[in-house]
This record gives sequence, C-alpha cells and structure tokens, in this order.
Amino acid sequence: MGIKIANALLAVLAGVGGAVAVFYLLNKLGELLPGRWEERVKPFLWLFPALAAIGVYLIYPTVQTIIFSFANASSTQFIGLSNYSDLLASSAFQTTLVNTLLWIIIVPAGTIVLGLLIATLADRLEPRAEKTAKTFIFLPLAVGAVSAGAIWRFVYAASPASQEQVGLLNGIVTGVGGDPVNWLQISSGKLNSFLLMVILMWLQAGFAMVLLSAAIKGVPVDTLEAARLDGAGEGAIFFRVVVPQIRTSLITVFITVLITVLKTFDIVYVMTNGNFGTNVIAVDFYNQLFTNSNAGYAAAIVVMLMLVMIPIMTYQIRQFRAEEVSR
Amino acid sequence: MSSGTVATPIQLQSDTASVGSNTKARGGKKPDVGGKSPLWVRIVVGLLCALWIIPTLGLAVTSFRPADQANSSGWWTIFTSPSVTLQNYSDVFSRANMGEAFVNSVAITVPATIIPILIAAFAAYVFTFMQFKGRDFLMVMIVALLVVPTQVALVPLLKLYGDLGISGTFLAIWLAHIGFGMPLAIYLIRNYMATLPKEIIESAKIDGASHFQTFWRLIIPMSTPALASFAIFQFLWVWNDLLAALIFVGPGSNQPLTIALVSLLGNQGQGWQLLTAGGLFTMLVPILVFLSLQRYFVRGLTAGSVKG
Amino acid sequence: MRNRSTIGAAIAVGAVTLLTSGCLSSGGDGGGGSNNTSNEIELMYGFTGNQDQVFQSVMKEWAGQNDVTIQFSPTPDFNSLINTRVQGNQLPDIAIFPQPGILRTMAERGVLSDVSEAVDMDDLEANMLPGAIEAGQGEDGTQYGILMSSNIKSVVYYPKAGAEQAGLTTPPATFDDLLSLSKTVAATGTTPWCFGIENGPGTGWPATDWVENLMLINYGSDVYNQWVQHEIPFNDPRVLEVLNQMEELLLAPGETNGGREAIASNNFQTAGNPMFDTPPGCYMYRQGNFLTQQGFFPDAVVDTLDDTVGVFPMPGTSADSSPVLGGGDLAGLFSGDNESAQKTLAYMASVDFQNKMAKELTSYLAPRSDVDPANYPSDTSRNFATIQNEATDWAFDGSDQMPGAVGSGSFWKEMTAWIAGEIDAQTALDNIEASWPAS
Repeated sequence: MGIKIANALLAVLAGVGGAVAVFYLLNKLGELLPGRWEERVKPFLWLFPALAAIGVYLIYPTVQTIIFSFANASSTQFIGLSNYSDLLASSAFQTTLVNTLLWIIIVPAGTIVLGLLIATLADRLEPRAEKTAKTFIFLPLAVGAVSAGAIWRFVYAASPASQEQVGLLNGIVTGVGGDPVNWLQISSGKLNSFLLMVILMWLQAGFAMVLLSAAIKGVPVDTLEAARLDGAGEGAIFFRVVVPQIRTSLITVFITVLITVLKTFDIVYVMTNGNFGTNVIAVDFYNQLFTNSNAGYAAAIVVMLMLVMIPIMTYQIRQFRAEEVSR
Repeated sequence: MSSGTVATPIQLQSDTASVGSNTKARGGKKPDVGGKSPLWVRIVVGLLCALWIIPTLGLAVTSFRPADQANSSGWWTIFTSPSVTLQNYSDVFSRANMGEAFVNSVAITVPATIIPILIAAFAAYVFTFMQFKGRDFLMVMIVALLVVPTQVALVPLLKLYGDLGISGTFLAIWLAHIGFGMPLAIYLIRNYMATLPKEIIESAKIDGASHFQTFWRLIIPMSTPALASFAIFQFLWVWNDLLAALIFVGPGSNQPLTIALVSLLGNQGQGWQLLTAGGLFTMLVPILVFLSLQRYFVRGLTAGSVKG
Repeated sequence: MRNRSTIGAAIAVGAVTLLTSGCLSSGGDGGGGSNNTSNEIELMYGFTGNQDQVFQSVMKEWAGQNDVTIQFSPTPDFNSLINTRVQGNQLPDIAIFPQPGILRTMAERGVLSDVSEAVDMDDLEANMLPGAIEAGQGEDGTQYGILMSSNIKSVVYYPKAGAEQAGLTTPPATFDDLLSLSKTVAATGTTPWCFGIENGPGTGWPATDWVENLMLINYGSDVYNQWVQHEIPFNDPRVLEVLNQMEELLLAPGETNGGREAIASNNFQTAGNPMFDTPPGCYMYRQGNFLTQQGFFPDAVVDTLDDTVGVFPMPGTSADSSPVLGGGDLAGLFSGDNESAQKTLAYMASVDFQNKMAKELTSYLAPRSDVDPANYPSDTSRNFATIQNEATDWAFDGSDQMPGAVGSGSFWKEMTAWIAGEIDAQTALDNIEASWPAS
C-alpha cells in the first residue's frame, strides 16, 4: 500500500515535471530558429503535445471509424453507403433519431431554465441559505453512472399491484389510492423518454445553476437601475436586460450540456436499454458495437453524430471570433 | 510591465463572479432585495432542494437497510418502522478491498487530471494569442471531436498498448484519459483565455517578455479558474469511469473503485444493495473536491459573461 | 543557455524513466496472449461476487500445488471486454464464456485452440451431460470449449405452505397436467403464476427462457436446435404457436400476479416473492436454479429453503419425457500450447474441481453427472442435480447460442415489447427474423 501511494506521488511529480520539461525544450528548439521562422513554427511546437494526444487517441480512431462506416459488419469489405441507408431506412433507428433530437432540444433547454430559475431565486436568499441550496442542487454532479442508475431505480420502480411499492413515485400513487404505474413502459407522449431526461437534467442542473448564477451576479447594477427608472417590470428586466448580458454563459452551458446529451449512454442503458421506444444514439452505438458486433453500423452512427455537431461547433467558433472583434 | 492595465480586468473578474464566498462583497450592487427574502421564494427554493435531494436520500437510506427489506418495501418506510444495519458497508469493505481500490483510483485520477491541464493550457494559449495558418480549422476540428464517443478508440488503443507492452498499467489509463479529455480541456481553457484582455500580451511584449514568460507569469495565474473548472470535470469523469478502466487496467491489483464496485454484483444482479453503500462511498471524494474547488469552478466557466 | 537545455533534457529523460519504472512495479500485465509460455496465466470470466470468490479460492488451492500462477480477471462486462481484447490482440490464456455464441464467434476468428488435446475426452463423454459436449463445439465439430459449470432453467418453484389447498398436490407429470393445474389455481381466484422480466440492460431474457423452454417441450430438441441454429426461420409458425401458448398460460387476465402490464417492469429476482406472502400472491414461478442464492427470495425463505420451497421440473408432453433447458459456462483455451493453461483447463473439467465447487458454492451445478450428490449443500440443490442428470433431453439455452444481435439483442427486446403489449406476437417474431445477421 505504501509503495502504491509513493508510486502515485512519484508519478504525479514525474508526469508534471516531464510535461514542463518537454515544453521547455520545445520552446528552446523554437528559439534556435531565425526570427521569422520562430514565429511561424512556435505555435506548432507548443501545440505538438496536445495534437499528438488528440491524434493518437481521437483522430486516428475517428478516421478509422469513418472508413469502417463504409465497410461491412466485420470491417473486411467496403459496401459503400449501405450502412447509412440501412440505418436511415429502419423504423427503429428513426425512432432513435427522433428521441435523440428530443433529448438535444429538451435537456439543454430544460437544464438552462432550471438553472436560471434556481440561480435567480437563490440569489434573493440570505448568503448561508443560498450556499446550502446551491450545494444541494450541485450534489448530483458527483454521482457516477452506476449510482445514478441505482438512485433512480428507487424512484421509477414498479411492482405488481398486490405488492408493496419500492419506487417512490408509485409509493405516492398507491399511497393516495391509485394503481401502480409502469412509468418506464409508457411511451405515449414520449413520457418514458421524458422521465429519463429528467434524470440527466437532475444531474446537470447544478452545473447550469452555478454558472448562470455567477453570470447574473456579474450583470452591472446600473443597467438594471436604468431599466427600472424606465419603468420596466421585473420580467422585462430579466429578459431584456439580464439575459442578453449573460448570453455567452448561456451558450457555454448549452454546448456543454448538449455534448453530455449526445454522449448520454449510461442513463438510458441502465434504466431501459432503449426498450419501450426510449433508444438514443449513444446506446444504439454501444449495442451495435458490442452486442451486435456490427462495426459498420456503429461507425456510421458515430459519423452521423459528428456531422450533426460540426455546424453547431462552427457556429460557436464564429460567435467567439465575432465577439473578439467587437471587444 | 505596466501593472495598471493588468490589474483592473483581473479584479473585475474575481469580483463579479465570487459565488462561493459568503461575504458578498458586491452586496451594494445587489438589486434592492433587502435582508429578508419573500416567503414564496424560500418555499420554492426549499421545494426544489427537496426534489433534488430526495432521490439521493433514497439511496442513502437504502444503504442502511437490510437487502431483504429494501427488496420488499419502499425506503421511506424506514421512518415508520426503523430497521438499520451497517451490514452493507461492512460487506463492501471486507469483500471488495476498497482501500487498495481507493488508492488506485487516486493514483489514476490525479495524474490523469493534472497532466492534460498543462498540455491543454499551452494549446489554448496558442489558439488564443498566436497567429498561424490553419488555426480556425484546427480549433473546429478539436471541438468537433468533443462528440466522438471514446468507445471508438478502444480497439486501436488496445492494439497500440499491446505492442508497447503497457496494458494493465497506470500509464496506459493516464494516457487514455489525457487523450480523451484533451478536446474539452482546450475548448474550455481557450474560451476563458479569449476573454483575457489582449492588452496584457501586448504590453508584456513591449516589455520584452517572450511567449514562454508571458504564458507562465501572466496567463497561467490569470487562467486558474478555467484550469480548476476543467480539473473538476476531468476529475469527475476519470473518477467515475468504468469502461476505459476495465479495458486498459482491468480487474486485479491495479483496479480502481468503479471496477471494485461492479464486481460486487453477481451474475444475475444479486448484491445490488452493496452498490448503494459503495456508491455513496465513491461519491465522497468528488463532493469534497467540488466543495473545495467550487469558487474557481464558477469563475472559470463564466468568463465572457462579463463585459467590462 | 546550452547548459539549461541539457538540464532540461536530463529532467525529461529522468521523468520518462520514472514514469516507466513507476508502471513496471504496478504489474498487472500477467503476460496473457496466445504466445505465452510461462506458468503464469491469465484467466478471464464473467461471474463476479460470491461465485467469483469461491471459484478463486478453489482454483488457487489447486494452482499452488501444481506450480501454476493464475491471474484472475473477473468482469461483469465479459462480452464487451473479450471482444475488445480479441480485436486488440490482448488475449487471456483461458476465458470462461457464459454464452456459446461468443465462443463460436471467437473460434471463427481463429483465436481459440482445440481443447480436446488438453482434456480426457473419453472421460468427459462418459460422464458429462448429453449435449454438454456439443455445446462447446464449433460448426466444424472441433471442441473449443468445455462446460465447467451448468445451470437449469426449466424449474418451477412453488411455496410448500398453501400449495395443497391450491390444488398443487403432486408435481404435474405432463405439460397438459401443468396447464390444467394452472387453471385449477386460477379458479380459486389467485393468479397461478409469478413472472417478471425486468433486469436493467438485460431486460427480456427471462421471457426468452420461457419461449425456449416451450419450444423444447412442444417440439423436442431436434426442432429446437434447428430453430436455434437458424435452419428454420425464427418466425416459423411453430414459434408463433408457442407464443400463443404463453399468452394463454401467462399473459391472459388472471394468470400472472399483477397482470400482463406489470411483467416488463417487474424485476425477475424478486418477481417470485409473492409466493411467500400469506395468502400467496401466486403459486408458481419458473426460473433458473440460481434463484436460490442469497438475495433473491426473502432471507427467511433462503434460510429454510428445503422446508419452504418446492421445485418441480417443467414437464414434457408425456410422462416419460423430461426435457431440460440448461446453460452453463464454457472454458475455452486461447494459449493452446501453454502447458499450464492446458492443465488448468483440464482441472476445471475434472470431477475433483466440480465436487469442490458443489460443496462450497450454493448456486453451483456440476455438468458432470459423476459428482457425488452428497456434496450439494441442500435437498433443493440435490433435486436440481437429479432433474438435470435424469433429463431425457438436455438443450443449451438458445438465446445464448444465437448471434449476439439476436440472442442478447432483438430476442430480448422484441419479447419485452410483445409482453408489454406494444406489438403483437407475429410482429415480434418477424422483427427478430429480420434482425438475424446475414451469412
């Protein structure tokens, strides 16, 4: 045990020290070059470790994935676009796409609304109460996927009517005299998908809250005063004065939650594994890769996911550029 | 160095975004709410907090109940018919070798959190303050990679590790997490650095400072909030990771907590009550980390919201 | 300047050395893979928890006496992990497969060795269950796996208390008897059956066991095997017949505790527990022998298992036929030339090993029929062994043998959708047929 701890300590020091040394050397290397070359080459020298890591761990596998997406299940033969056409033609995958789309829209929006609500309300509490409230809301972020599944099982679980209920929701329903409801089986109105989204919003709301709360506190008071003098109501002030000023934070939260949504795998996998019409893209990917051993479909799914993301990301980068110019 | 141009924005930054501090130095700026908040606000916030904590409370309560009862009645019945046991906790610790797994988790998580920060900080600096061809293209590519599921990388990496002979070691999992976490690290840190005033760099340049010096003496200290906020993300991610750990470390003497935990479960899912106890135990460290880094976390991510 | 960069280089080299030495001592990579020649072997398998602990202690005892060092790699994500390891060419020396389907996929990839050299095949053929040897064979008949543990799934549990009043006096001798017994119980106003198929990501598998069991009972192992091997289509009319039988027996109103709607959300582990309520909420629950482990039935029931719980086999169509649906874990060899690995595999197939396991692990069932019944810890487990060993027909769990896309994919999912009432039986079968991978 002692050796293990010492080992870990050594590794931290060696790793960080080594990384610093590498950058130092790279920098020196750059300085050896004549002036104009130095300016041209140095960015790439500094970027090198990051690009190397991304290259080995993400780009190389991604390129391979793109290639595999045009190949058959065992990646031994090219089959053109048929992975894509098969997937898009299957009604199960269409449901998966629709669900994913709903997740993309509802979860980031819901998370932001919840975060804003809590942030603005908690802002009006006295400091100690505010901090306690925020800690409560933030807590779920520390919950791992395995625990989150266990936690929400005790909320949505349904036992036959003759049994005592273990799930909280059904405990309440039967407590007031109703019959137990099989929550996760109800696909009408996408209720079950929505209940799963609630789990992710529960996990992420704290993140949104802390960010937005800080942003709101950063809004200059004089702009609020000015609006008040003009006779604007609280609602109008919030939407016309506060929201525009925290737009960048809103976008950061939106994008970060969006990425979490697209990668959401554990929640759906653990709770329903995509049954009852709740499938989403990340679960489908996992099942295609590991259950169905169909590397072709799995790869095509990832590529479609990336295609969806590129416009959003490009927009976001543009946004940043525009802001930098206007500063 | 002309400190005047530097000081103002930094103060603005730390001033406007201190959520963790109780003191509310900005009290004067707060809209005139007065000392007491309206009752309805307290009720709504109280309700929301209750809603947020109840699911976790269910897990916590269940971890103290005998499995038999947890199977047959709701956790809330503990309040009417109390029956408490520490059996789940003692089982977890006696069976799963949690002590060793805990040290392993720390040994995996700490380097896998710190090293990528350094690498990403350099990259973010380049993307923010240096001009070169292909900058936008590289940046867009990196953020597009944010969505790539890490599962696609598992097989190629395993092959690579096999050739290098590092499968099953800590190094293997560190490198994997460094690679997987890199796009988000660059994205977040760059976003923050982009909000730092350009004049700092300019004046430092005029004073004859090299990029290397500017980076270490100015940018890193000013970017602490962003670095800390990524640290929390990466920490939570690595700490709670199961899949990468399973594949690159595997079960055995190097296994982290997540592997130790799931191996408590039997084939047909028996022993899940041990997960409730173990799950709570694994939550402790992230919560502590969050509480101690909370202040930075907020500042790092809200950069850009403030326009001075 | 020059001095400084030399120092920097020295630091870098030192750092790399430290890093590398740091991982050497952490070990872990026991040297698995197909070219391993040492006596240190890696053994990978999918059972965890208590089963894992007993298994390790039995194996370690043997390994210590036989100069073999085993690195145990238990993982609940066996399927994902073995797939990844094989693709990444990081092979363990031995893997214990919970599903013959994966064993066969691996064999087709050419990574598995013929085990018939490592074990005494004559001994196994004489003492193993009929059908158990075949379960470990590839399509060409090569022996790729040996069953080292088994289970039976065609067991019906019933509560001893109150069973008589409900009309359950003697175990039904034929399937028709079972049907009429079910009707007798239903007439008393209590639902005869308990049924639950919820199991998180694995939801649906208990339903596939029912379907397979009825296929085996109604049509015998020949048709059953053709169906499993996809020699007849999955949506053959005979399969639809079986689903209709299930609708009548289990899904119709008044047949299952909680009704059809509750089945898909009811966890299979505890679905049978209403049997022990007073008065019982149901009288029969068909599930595998592993259900008697601690953690499924209420503790009080597990403690008094032999007195509280009765078991009878799912009956055949006639009194002299008793087909059994079973399953088990197959040990396969990656390092065919490694002597230690061969010895280890042979040990797991031996009667010594299986006697020890039977004695120490409540849920263990030996695939060898020459295991001493006295070693089983309870009458109930002896009963299981008898049911298994006296089977007229022993068939390996079908979904475990089908390709993953069906056996752990569409079969589970479509059965779940059908039981939940989202689609009708024909649609479910058609969907599964359509999902069967080409080639």
